[in-house]
Amino acid sequence: MTLGKPFFDMDIAWCPGCGDYSILRTLGKILDEMQLDRRKLVLVSGIGQAAKLPHYTRANVFNGLHGRALPAAVGIKLANHELEVVITSGDGDMYGEGGNHFIQNLRRNVGIKVFVHNNQVYGLTKGQASPTSDLGFVTPVQTEGVVSPPFNPLAIAVAEDCSFVARSFAGDPAHLGRMMRAALEHRGGFALLDILQPCVTFNKVNTYQWYRERVRPIDDSHDPSDRAKAFALALTWGDEIPIGLIYRSTRPSFESQQCALREGTLVGRHEVTGA
Amino acid sequence: MVDFNLRIAGAAGQGVETMGELLTDTFAHLGLHVFTTQTYMSRIRGGLNWFDIRIADRELFSGREQTDLLVALRPEAVELLGKELAEGGRILFGGDAREGVIAIDFEGVAKELTGATVMANTVAAGAVVALLGYELAPLFARLEAIFLGKKGREVVEANVRCAQRGAELVAPHAGQLRAPEAGVGRPALQFTISGNEAIAYGLAAAGVKFVSAYPMTPSTGIFTMLARIHEEYGILVEQAEDEIAAINMAIGATYAGVPAVCTTSGGGFALMVEGVSLAGMLELPAVIVLGQRPGPATGLPTRTAQQDLRFALHAGHGEFPKALYAPGTPQQAFALARVALETAHKYQTPVIMLSDQFLADMRKNMAALDTTLRPIDRHIITDPSEDYLRYAVTESGVSPRALPGGPALVVMDSDEHTEDGHITEDLSARVRLQDKRSRKYDGMRAEALPPERYGPEDAKELLVCWGSTYGPCREAVDRLNSRGRGIAMLHFSQVWPISAQGGDGLRRATRVTCVEGNQTGQFAGMLKEAGLVRECALMTKYDGLPFTGEEIARRLA
Repeated sequence: MTLGKPFFDMDIAWCPGCGDYSILRTLGKILDEMQLDRRKLVLVSGIGQAAKLPHYTRANVFNGLHGRALPAAVGIKLANHELEVVITSGDGDMYGEGGNHFIQNLRRNVGIKVFVHNNQVYGLTKGQASPTSDLGFVTPVQTEGVVSPPFNPLAIAVAEDCSFVARSFAGDPAHLGRMMRAALEHRGGFALLDILQPCVTFNKVNTYQWYRERVRPIDDSHDPSDRAKAFALALTWGDEIPIGLIYRSTRPSFESQQCALREGTLVGRHEVTGA
Repeated sequence: MVDFNLRIAGAAGQGVETMGELLTDTFAHLGLHVFTTQTYMSRIRGGLNWFDIRIADRELFSGREQTDLLVALRPEAVELLGKELAEGGRILFGGDAREGVIAIDFEGVAKELTGATVMANTVAAGAVVALLGYELAPLFARLEAIFLGKKGREVVEANVRCAQRGAELVAPHAGQLRAPEAGVGRPALQFTISGNEAIAYGLAAAGVKFVSAYPMTPSTGIFTMLARIHEEYGILVEQAEDEIAAINMAIGATYAGVPAVCTTSGGGFALMVEGVSLAGMLELPAVIVLGQRPGPATGLPTRTAQQDLRFALHAGHGEFPKALYAPGTPQQAFALARVALETAHKYQTPVIMLSDQFLADMRKNMAALDTTLRPIDRHIITDPSEDYLRYAVTESGVSPRALPGGPALVVMDSDEHTEDGHITEDLSARVRLQDKRSRKYDGMRAEALPPERYGPEDAKELLVCWGSTYGPCREAVDRLNSRGRGIAMLHFSQVWPISAQGGDGLRRATRVTCVEGNQTGQFAGMLKEAGLVRECALMTKYDGLPFTGEEIARRLA
């Protein structure tokens, strides 16, 4: 009886101490707290260590191609918008290989939740730079250090008026749980949660310690609808890294503007008229 | 048979296509059989495009090389296309008088009558209908149908005046051209449809609910037609950021249970290929319409070719079942759109429908197609148990398919997986699942559409073709047999898996020629690999233009 079993208890392929464990445990805890029907939950992923997370859960799973979690998730959500569609992806999968989908789906604003395990390094391929690696980060390929400045997903999301933009840290499960819950409860469209996630094997720079010394919860006085302040927070990186809800927009979701979805789900329409 | 070819030529932006469609409809209402083709350049303004309307008193399947009446909206059209005039043919030129043409200043006439040049093409249309000796009433009725709702009575009347004036101006030339007699007493086949429109309606009527595509000639017309009718059929149409997104969105939609389709051309399909493989692995019914055009790379974007057959056949890394359809006429396109969706759903595997610019833009009149929404069977189980296995190993290779959101969890993975859908490196499971997927071919082969044979049963000579070459080959068969040749056609509208029945006709023939719009004879090679034919001559064409019946007949002579 699949559904009677705990959310996760499988044989897991992550390194001991990996930040991914905290993300998996926290997700399970929040889903239990929210009493979300797992039959209505679809976990979508591409390829990478983060993308394996759906396999360690008991939920509906769509594990597709590298970089392509977003378009697949959009297709699923538009076919049946009553499903809760959550992507678990890494920085390489989401911001590198899937970069164009990321940029375009911030605009599209389909109501999917995107949890990015951002460890600033490629884990599955053993330690090359990722789009979010800091300048000077030395790897077996970038032997003289990374020379291209890091991709800033949050600044881009704010620039594109993304409906929910937040950052959290795998080393602070309480904070992470609050952000996950806020993202899951968000009803206005696309929700991006970038999760700082230490890679204990291939990233010896951005360690638990490194992040702990820098992350600062965003002050309660911050108004997430203030786009200019949100943009300033999104650009803040270095000695201080803000975590929390950075930006929230009130623009309408993609689904709410589709005439084909006015009378219910697309899949429901087929069921009414067909076999 | 009296067979007349009208060619309207002008620069992009001059309304060549609009005028072509107006006259096509008019001829259909006159009870004639109409077949049209288009030749155009990859540009929005300028250049020279032409729209051929062939009319006859019996059904047509192909275009023609020569023109009986050339309507030249630009002087360049006279120079370039005047050479292709048939014996006794005439040129109707929209401009000043010059030698050898019937000259009418369409724009000047329109301006004089209405104060503007916008109705110049209506003047030309009136002149054409009169030159061919037909009554004007059906043209007036078309003008009313087009403009009354959108523009009002005044605009209709101005157009009618323009058409009338065009007809009066060509009165001195009456009787110079021999056109087929209008269908007196014959029920007019007023329903006209192009290949692209037929594919769109076929998909919509079969219950497609999700369309994601990136525009690319020559398949864009399918995408825009589906967008036009999306409300009526309840279809969500989304323009993807690229073809990779398009195919992955469609695959996501099929996972959730919705029949979905992507339309593209060769270059876009190249980007989709990883997704094709994903659909093979996840066992999801992705359907792709691939409008071929001459490559490699960007090639000739607005011309025609049948060069992507082998590419489609082998598209996707790894080995997995796939079906390829290749309709030859708008009617076949309409019917096969449904068959493609049915096969994809029955066997839970990707299906590709091959088209090209010739089929896409080919328009003809026919008895109305039934475009009522009659959704296909998706072969979904609605009552899976809680220990449901998405990839349960079965004898047919097809596992019961449940949808997420129902009673059971549905797990799918692009990694090799066990029957429950989860990632595995158990190599015996790998072999079991690979064998299971491959077994779907048994059923698909048994159900493969047999080729259509046209021509005398006892003919020993055979033309073999696939896809859009249907019409030209069929006409060539008629032309050659009228001269006592003894030849038949075998047309494959499903090119993979190839029906074993194809071999029967092929083995009986003493001479086989495979007619293909490519350089290397891709389908002939596939027939040889399948052991269906040993010796086979090739007739290929890869200049970007479609075959015509007369060309095939001439080259075979």
